[in-house]
Amino acid sequence: MPGPDAVRAFILEIGLGALLLLVFVATLGIRGAERRVIGWIATWGVLVLAFTSFLVRPAPPALGGMFVQDGLAIFAKRLFLAATFIGLLASLGNAQPAFVRRAGEYHLLILSSLLGMFVLASARDLILLFVAFELMSIPLYVLSGFLKRQEEAVEAALKFFLVGSVSSAVLVYGLSFVYGAARSTDLATVARVSPATEPLLALGLLAAFAGFGFKIAAFPFHMWVPDTYEAASTPFVAWLSVAPKAAGFVALFRVYLEGVGDRAAAWIPLAAGLATLTIVAGNLMALPQQNTKRLLAYSGIAHIGYMLVGFAAASASGVAMVLFYLVTYVFGNMGAFLVVEAVARSEGSEATTAFRGLAQRSPLLALAMLIFLLSLGGIPFVAGFWAKLYVFWAAASVGLYWLVLVGAVLTVVALFYYLVVAKRMYIEAPERPGRVHLSATLALAVLICVGGVVVLCHQDGGEREQRQSRAVDARGDSRSGEPSDPRPRLQPHVARRRAPRERRRQGQLLLPLQEQGRARLRDPRSDHRVLPR
Amino acid sequence: MDANVWLPVLVLGLPFASFVLLAVVAPLRRAGGAAGAVSIAAIAPAFLVAVLVWGEGLGSEATWSWIPADEGPTATVGLLVDPLSNAMLVLVTLVSLLVQIYSLAYLHDERPASLGRYYTFQSLFAFSMLGLVLSPSFIQMFVFWELVGLCSYLLIGYWYTRPTAARAAVKAFWITKLGDLGFVIGIVMLWSATGTFEFRALFAKAQEHALAIEGLGTIMFLVYLGAVGKSAQFPLHVWLPDAMEGPTPVSALIHAATMVTAGVFMVTRAQPLFVLVPAVLALIGWVGAFTALLAATMACVESDIKRVLAYSTVSQLGYMMAAAGAGAPYASFLHLLTHGLFKALLFLAAGAVIHAVGTNDIFRMGGLFRAMPQTGVVFIVGTLALAGLPPLAGFFSKEAILAGVWEADMTGPFLMLALTALLTAFYMFRVVFVAFFGRAPAAGHPHEPSWTMRGPLWVLAALTVLVGIRLAIGSVGEHHGPGWLPPLSVAAALGGIVLAWAAYQRGALDPGRLAATFPFSVVDVLARRRYGLDALYAGLYRSFILGFSRLIGWIDRYLVDGLLNFLSAWTLRGGDLLRRIQSGHAQDYVYGVAFGVLLLLIWSQWWPR
Repeated sequence: MPGPDAVRAFILEIGLGALLLLVFVATLGIRGAERRVIGWIATWGVLVLAFTSFLVRPAPPALGGMFVQDGLAIFAKRLFLAATFIGLLASLGNAQPAFVRRAGEYHLLILSSLLGMFVLASARDLILLFVAFELMSIPLYVLSGFLKRQEEAVEAALKFFLVGSVSSAVLVYGLSFVYGAARSTDLATVARVSPATEPLLALGLLAAFAGFGFKIAAFPFHMWVPDTYEAASTPFVAWLSVAPKAAGFVALFRVYLEGVGDRAAAWIPLAAGLATLTIVAGNLMALPQQNTKRLLAYSGIAHIGYMLVGFAAASASGVAMVLFYLVTYVFGNMGAFLVVEAVARSEGSEATTAFRGLAQRSPLLALAMLIFLLSLGGIPFVAGFWAKLYVFWAAASVGLYWLVLVGAVLTVVALFYYLVVAKRMYIEAPERPGRVHLSATLALAVLICVGGVVVLCHQDGGEREQRQSRAVDARGDSRSGEPSDPRPRLQPHVARRRAPRERRRQGQLLLPLQEQGRARLRDPRSDHRVLPR
Repeated sequence: MDANVWLPVLVLGLPFASFVLLAVVAPLRRAGGAAGAVSIAAIAPAFLVAVLVWGEGLGSEATWSWIPADEGPTATVGLLVDPLSNAMLVLVTLVSLLVQIYSLAYLHDERPASLGRYYTFQSLFAFSMLGLVLSPSFIQMFVFWELVGLCSYLLIGYWYTRPTAARAAVKAFWITKLGDLGFVIGIVMLWSATGTFEFRALFAKAQEHALAIEGLGTIMFLVYLGAVGKSAQFPLHVWLPDAMEGPTPVSALIHAATMVTAGVFMVTRAQPLFVLVPAVLALIGWVGAFTALLAATMACVESDIKRVLAYSTVSQLGYMMAAAGAGAPYASFLHLLTHGLFKALLFLAAGAVIHAVGTNDIFRMGGLFRAMPQTGVVFIVGTLALAGLPPLAGFFSKEAILAGVWEADMTGPFLMLALTALLTAFYMFRVVFVAFFGRAPAAGHPHEPSWTMRGPLWVLAALTVLVGIRLAIGSVGEHHGPGWLPPLSVAAALGGIVLAWAAYQRGALDPGRLAATFPFSVVDVLARRRYGLDALYAGLYRSFILGFSRLIGWIDRYLVDGLLNFLSAWTLRGGDLLRRIQSGHAQDYVYGVAFGVLLLLIWSQWWPR
């Protein structure tokens, strides 16, 4: 029976379950236009959960080690809650009768998907991981086709579903190999698998990698992204573009850094290759786009590539950098989508030409969009710049200089298409006069995103980076709480690298890099091969 | 902070505050006269404080770290207050104050916005020059050195709509920049050899004979190059006559009394370093004396009153450099101060004349003494001082220089300087006789200038006389040269005056015929062509620099831009091509997943590790 410790570990999931139940009951009890209240209930509930999440402390593993509430999980859950809150807030102003009538459906689906993400962030067991993945994904397929009277939406949802099903199949196929090799679904056991079965394990992890690639929309698995983003309702897309991606990355960290133990270095080439492809393809394909949502879809793919750069570093600092990147990406990308929503609602067009002269019509909205674009583009001293810088730094510290170079060069390409939108807003003349109207809740959501980006700009880089890594290293705390737990984790890998990191002072960016590089060179396991030729 | 530090800081800070105020508060600057009032209100107390600092004989050295490094700061900023800088503080603030008052009347026809700009630059100049003389290190001196160069450029080009003024400003800028290039290389080489920019540390090493650096001769020569450019030494003297395109008060302040003497000041300041390399010192002496003679010959054939004064400035700077090279920095510095007074006086008086008659050509002036007696008197006072007649200030300083050069056994330079003394008296009195006592009718309607212009003139004239008398009765002016030297120099000056009188007043000598006889004819022809140096520089500029810039421009336009255009076009095209994989067919999307799995498989086998 689950004891009080387990309740501690599940507190957020329990809260979310209660909220789901509340929304369900409200849907049953409320009819017609009154269903707008459901949106408010869900939004407030998520806000309360978001505040609660700051009270949650790391707890010992529950369910026999399947479920872990560590620093990484809590950090990820806060991120999901923030993104969900902004997304729900933005759709509150949607007064279309069809939407209001089906508000219960909409919010239930979003909250169920959120529950899937929660479990995914804490799962340390292959079965639980897969179930959580499906719990997260299936509501997303439905939500993509939420506007069921629109042909494009239904088509996009079908494509999303088909590609998603194939990917899930690949994922579960891969995971079955892993089980075959390790004879256990427990990630800790997987990490200790004997060298004799390694080829099988490697094959399984490889296939699973492709499945995760679909979820985060890395290059050859990204095809569903532009169509789905274009057709689905924008506040949902804003959320879809960040929250499931973050969940996918957390799962990647769990399996490929924690789950494979000391052999994490073996994944560097694959992740680096995938990162290169994703950055190049995402940025190049964004160039010719005329539809702002498609443009942001491709730019989002490119951002996934940048996060994969941090993942490719396969180090604690790389994980911390990716988490920071995710935070800036949540605010920047959601903000940009929400401005698109405001403009599209007012102009009836999602083309970039709808932004013409926005600076004259609604200067504040244009300024907000400019801030988001600059952050996404990585202009120095805006939040996104620090994120890119730290990710590159993490990659450079393990010697992936060519990857950093590719990323940096393609940043220039990215600036081009971001600045095309900025040019439309600031240089071109408006096609028609008058302010762009947006509802108070949407304005508030945009404002929160602006606030997020601005706050992230103004924090001291070194301090922030250390705090992020503390969130990751907090897993060490949970171990000290339960000394009998024999699981190998990222920890031995981290410990070597953390020593020079703690000596780092502000402003000395390059020194620790060299130290980390040397530490890696001294590491006898860094040339350990997982995959046989 | 004690008074030794904060009083000089106050001197430095007042003009800077005025500059910032005028630069930032645009309405004040555009008001013109008000801007002048602000600038004068800042420089006047600065002058009083400077007099206090000098009178009290304050001395201090304060430094603050500037470029931090692990082993102590790489560079420092600070103040070096000693007798040398104190005297310069008084000279700079005095001449700045008088010139700024004088400019109020001289430039009263200017548009208010232009006048405001003028006073903004004047304040910046005063700050920069004061900063230069207070510098305790080479690096800080270089920063202010460049700042005064910038002010010089801005003020020469004050009437920037005149093509000649704009061109003169550019010429001044890039010719002095040639010297500055040597200066900065020298400074950095010195730093890399010794690890310090600071004068005190360098002098201490020099004293302990710890400065036996390889290539010190080269380093000090490069440092000296800075002075060659700034103090208009041969062969970089060509910018100074052209700089006369600026307003006359600017010429008086920057191109006679203060900025051009920065080179002399620097050589004086760094004398303990220069004495370690006798070869460079001798070079300084020879070049100085040669410059003095060369410029004097050019002054003899010039008919533009300001250009005569400009060549005379070049010539006198040569004097100072000769003394510095002869190991008599004291004489050099004394001449710097006295020359600052009487050359500013001459320029301002010439400005009053130009203001009245509307031309610079001395042959279109004449009989001005009758119309402008006060201006005439002060001009003659300045001329006598420049010619070197006792008991005026110039006599003693020139005397000290000649004595110093003679005692350094530099016979060649001594003879050149003695001949220059004769020529100086000749060309200056040529101007006096032609312009003030000539029989030709003067252009315009000559009249005495207003009091704001006459006041500064009288102050400077009085100081020229008083300083002379002070030097005559005090021991400070005592020279240690041979006994025959004072009569010789007085005789040279009188000879020049008599010659000018005979040629231009009495008519006993026909200057035209004299110039046609050998050997004067050769000098005359060459001097009128400025010894071909201007043409040489112009040719070099056109062929090498413009040619090189055309080449660079071509590379930029066709190679660099071409490459970038190629890259950007192919990036866009790449995006367009890649977009086609997005077919819209769901089966293709599934193929995408399969392709990705295959790709990962292949990579995992073949990726080089």
